[in-house]
Amino acid sequence: MAVATSTDITPERPLPPRGTHRRRWGIALVLSLAALWSVSGLNISFNRLVTAPGEAWTVLQQMVPPAFGKVYERGAVGKIFESVYIAWIGTLIGAILSLPLAFLAANNVSPRWIRAPIRQFFNAVRAVPELILAVIFIPITGLGPWAGALAIGVHSIGTLGKWATESIESIDSGPIEAVQATGGQWVNSMRWAVIPQVMSTITSYWLFRFEINVRASAVLGMIGAGGVGSELVSHLIFRDFPAASAVLILTVVVVLTIDTVSAKVRRRIIVGSVSDMDSSRSSEALADLTGLRR
Amino acid sequence: MTTSASAWPTRPQIRVRTYGITLALVAFTVFAARKVGFSPSTFWEVWSNPLWEKFWPIPWEWVLDGDNVIKPLIETFQIAVLSTIVGCSLALPISFAMSPLTTPNQPTYLVSRAVMNVVRAVPDLFWAKLLVTAIGIGAFAGTWALSVFSLAIMVKLFSETIDNADSGPLEAARAAGGRHTPVVRTGVFPGVFPAYVSYALYVFELNIRASVVLGLVGAGGIGRVLEAQRQFFKFDRILGILVLIFVVVWVVDHVSVALRKRLV
Amino acid sequence: MIRLQNVSVTYPGGVEALRGVDLSVGEGEFVVIVGLSGAGKSTLLRVLNGLVPATSGSVIVDGTEVVGASAATLRRVRSRIGMIFQTFNLVHRTTVVNNVLMGRLSRVSPWRSTLGLWPAGDREAAMVALERVGIVEKAYVRASDLSGGQQQRVGIARALAQEPSLMLADEPVASLDPVTSRQVMGDLRRINEELGITTVVNLHFLDLAREYAQRLIGLRDGVLIYDGDIAKVDDDTFQEIYGRAITADDLLAVGEEPASPNGD
Repeated sequence: MAVATSTDITPERPLPPRGTHRRRWGIALVLSLAALWSVSGLNISFNRLVTAPGEAWTVLQQMVPPAFGKVYERGAVGKIFESVYIAWIGTLIGAILSLPLAFLAANNVSPRWIRAPIRQFFNAVRAVPELILAVIFIPITGLGPWAGALAIGVHSIGTLGKWATESIESIDSGPIEAVQATGGQWVNSMRWAVIPQVMSTITSYWLFRFEINVRASAVLGMIGAGGVGSELVSHLIFRDFPAASAVLILTVVVVLTIDTVSAKVRRRIIVGSVSDMDSSRSSEALADLTGLRR
Repeated sequence: MTTSASAWPTRPQIRVRTYGITLALVAFTVFAARKVGFSPSTFWEVWSNPLWEKFWPIPWEWVLDGDNVIKPLIETFQIAVLSTIVGCSLALPISFAMSPLTTPNQPTYLVSRAVMNVVRAVPDLFWAKLLVTAIGIGAFAGTWALSVFSLAIMVKLFSETIDNADSGPLEAARAAGGRHTPVVRTGVFPGVFPAYVSYALYVFELNIRASVVLGLVGAGGIGRVLEAQRQFFKFDRILGILVLIFVVVWVVDHVSVALRKRLV
Repeated sequence: MIRLQNVSVTYPGGVEALRGVDLSVGEGEFVVIVGLSGAGKSTLLRVLNGLVPATSGSVIVDGTEVVGASAATLRRVRSRIGMIFQTFNLVHRTTVVNNVLMGRLSRVSPWRSTLGLWPAGDREAAMVALERVGIVEKAYVRASDLSGGQQQRVGIARALAQEPSLMLADEPVASLDPVTSRQVMGDLRRINEELGITTVVNLHFLDLAREYAQRLIGLRDGVLIYDGDIAKVDDDTFQEIYGRAITADDLLAVGEEPASPNGD
């Protein structure tokens, strides 16, 4: 294509395409209407909107200084650890139960008639929040940490199951073929071709879920399923804000610590695995999900 | 020609450290299990518990009645809409401030990262309970709580995308002499916008599910109805409501997947 | 137009990219810089518009000292310098004209550019720039839908839209095929001759350098070791600059060539 020079006839300028601006304004309009409809439906008066920050600020002022001593005496630290134990056991239950199911749910491993119901099971269990599960379990197990651990465990079966299935489905199928070529059975394929490729990513997912579950177990305490939530609720009910803030700060510290340690361990697991094998897509997915770059 | 066995490399020993770590983990698990009251009998007791009878049959007349369930469900929807809009809007500038690629200056970067770390470390319902205590029960507090929740998730997802964005156009915009905000807006934003929309739709879905739970702490929506029924042990109604919610989430999920496909 | 005095650049990792470079470039010149990878070509170019800060020395561009300049001064200097990149650095998801408009960032208020409300005068300037490089008919096409050569043209148009007094090109044709490379180099020469814009180009291919340069500068290990009129350059010069024999990789290709300015 020759470059235009000053002696060429200049080509006609194209017109801007119609509709891009209209579409943008259209979307903005829809969003604004949705917002307005919601605001009116919820009866949010302008008055409340203005006074709310002020009320929040008052509460905030009352939260300082945090009453660490009082809270310590009440055994809040023990309760926080209880939340960690609940999260740990719950995650383990979820991990152990989800792993075999995940294999049965993977499309490169299992036939359709087994896969489909298991995947639906994962979806169903994932869709129910841990809190609701706890509500269901408490009448059966009674109040206390076991209900919380069960709720977290069952819910985690869903999430961990889904992630594990995705990992398994994204592996290199070469080694599976190799095992079959040597005359091995399905179980041998799993043990030697699938598991080595997939275990480090899955373990990483378990740790990531543990981090989330620590927060979930803290929350479960609020309905009596064990852990620090009950402490926070009782302080708030009595409007004892210094104590509430102390509990909050302690919780945040523990959560942040666990997050940091877990992130380090996860990084080591992923890095170790990448050096051993060709990077499978599941490592990429995990990196996307958890923000770890190799 | 064979080489003698002494020329073979020795089998690597499993390190003592690995044994140690495994042992520690097992010990911790046993300890935690006892503290938690792990009782395997529950796994089979669960099925034979007479309580299951109370879940059935589902009283559809009551469940589908407008005032009992439909109106609170609409309220839940509205909470989800508002909090997604508020949370995701705030997340936009914060995510840009949190990324080394697009942050205006060092203090903004450090402060935004620190603040977001703390916000994310607080369990979501703690926020809700706090806000409910501070500004009163009801959907108003619930909306604020979910907005914080939306903000946290959106920032986590979106700042990751920004970190991995193509920095080429950014360099070109800087080289052309633009100021910081226009440079980010023209150089980085168009590339990450599809991801933003995708995440926003995902957050909306999460919010619908979350506002269910929010009601349990008094923050309005269908959760309040659930909590009320729970206190009266009306498990059959609870199951009906849950089924309804499942349907709504399923519909929203499919609509949002379709929307996302159209955008990318 | 450009005056470097004893400029050195050391990167944070300890790599010395430039050592004590002295260089003067007059208005309207067309200068080509050659050197092995890692010799410092990219660094030299980026030191001119401050994208890479010089560790020591003085860099005066169009009368302004760039080393240690404030952010505002840097922006002002950059607005007069157009830069084109090896990887084009276009925003793929948006239209050609939106990419060219990025060249007007320094002239439009931050509000307008952030919201995408470009004034009519700037839109006109963008279209004129596109006409100059001969692809105005693609103005509303998505940037990623163009070929490599066309994308680089958009890059040139973006630089032209700045109405610059200096043009910097960092290996502009390294990703292009021989025919397209010659077209792009021809465009750069033509712009230099018709508009009188001082032009500095980094090139990897020595035959291309010989065809299009007026003045040749050679860098080796961060040191400027050759500076002279292209007429005086022969194969020995290149060997001197590279410190080794010339290989086929250093040459673009044998192929159909439109008549190049130096009549080779």
